[in-house]
Amino acid sequence: MKTIAIDIRGQICPACLLITLREINTHKTVLKDGRARLVIKTDHRDATRTIPSTVCAMGYDINVTGRKGYYEITIGYRK
Amino acid sequence: MYPEIVLTHFLFGIGLGVVMHRSDFCMAGAFRDIFLTGDFFRMRSVILLVSVTSTLLYLARASGLVDSYPPSFFSSPSIAHLTGGVIFGIGMVLAGGCVMGTLYKMGAGNLVSVCAFAGLLLGSLLFAWAYPLHRSFVEATTVSGGFTAMEHLTGSPGLTALLIVSISFLYLFRGKKHPAWTGNAFARGYLDPWKAALIVCAIIILSFTLTGRPLALTSGYSRLASCLAERILPGGVTSLPVDRDDSVRLLYGKVMDQKYLSGTDPVMITQVPMIFGIVIGAFLSALRLGELTIWPAPPRRQLLSGFAGGILLACGSLMAGGCNVWHIMGGLPLLAFQSVLFVFGMGFGAYVGGRLLLTTVLQVERCTPFENHSY
Repeated sequence: MKTIAIDIRGQICPACLLITLREINTHKTVLKDGRARLVIKTDHRDATRTIPSTVCAMGYDINVTGRKGYYEITIGYRK
Repeated sequence: MYPEIVLTHFLFGIGLGVVMHRSDFCMAGAFRDIFLTGDFFRMRSVILLVSVTSTLLYLARASGLVDSYPPSFFSSPSIAHLTGGVIFGIGMVLAGGCVMGTLYKMGAGNLVSVCAFAGLLLGSLLFAWAYPLHRSFVEATTVSGGFTAMEHLTGSPGLTALLIVSISFLYLFRGKKHPAWTGNAFARGYLDPWKAALIVCAIIILSFTLTGRPLALTSGYSRLASCLAERILPGGVTSLPVDRDDSVRLLYGKVMDQKYLSGTDPVMITQVPMIFGIVIGAFLSALRLGELTIWPAPPRRQLLSGFAGGILLACGSLMAGGCNVWHIMGGLPLLAFQSVLFVFGMGFGAYVGGRLLLTTVLQVERCTPFENHSY
């Protein structure tokens, strides 16, 4: 499976959610086919609320992992 | 230097810094998210904060803990409060946070907020030079009659609190489908914004009780900027009228009255320690959670946005006689007319700032999941 990685650490609020939605929109075909997953790196605490709640409502599965200094949000289409 | 006052405000700052960082209770975000993503989650906590503060403040005044009847620290409203609110609203969106948001995000290592802080200092100096023009504008547009707050019209502070609580209750608990109070965030040590709002309420009431006046930060920025400029250009700015007026405006609190007699600058012993406290509180919180990072740097366009936003934040808040901390946490719970004007302006400014942010800074379309995606 292809991994599309996006690093939005340090970016201005609310770039995290808007950029994530833009990337999902751009790659929605491969994400829905299960051929790719999106991995977002963010250090914005509120993004661990806004991205999961928004993206889950769109039918995607999500996994959030706390790393040293940032959070890694993995988005894949729900089977 | 009155160490008890300095230490109290420093501790207020530490508390605010930790709470704000843990909850990301950003007032700029509360207004901006309504227009950019249709998210009312944080706005609910702001409304809760205003209604609980209004109730507690009424009780504190009724029981004699706070003795300002009517609130003497709010002057008559003028168009400057509205225009200041608009400028402030645009600035807070471009800076990625209000004056308090800038401090706690800077403490946690955000470089955009570092640029916003620099912009705030520069903006304070720029405003100081334009201050005589501002004074003329205020004098020409101030509403006469001496009405400063709703209780001047109703004659009863209790009615003000009842009005705010009733409207807030109707909004917060309307229908069955109101949004959740719990954020379900995955961040370590996350504090729900409604809990943060209640802790902030307690700090606001403590501040009222101890100093007789609401929390404020704007003059602290102004004073820091003056001190820095004085080091670069000795004699250049510290005697500007904006600083003198600020000191006079802050004397109405009961503690401040006594202390001022000895020539101590009230801003230096209240707001400046609180500014340092917020930064240090957020720094310690981020360090404790293992989230303190500076790199990678955001795009240059965002850094410039933060700097420009900071300048607008400073000019807007000085023009309106206070920032969102002063008006939303202090004036709105009393329905001070100038604060109501400021909040209306701030809301409009957040909308304009949101459009600017999307088109010029982030260069993305406004996208909510329901507009751009099919399921």
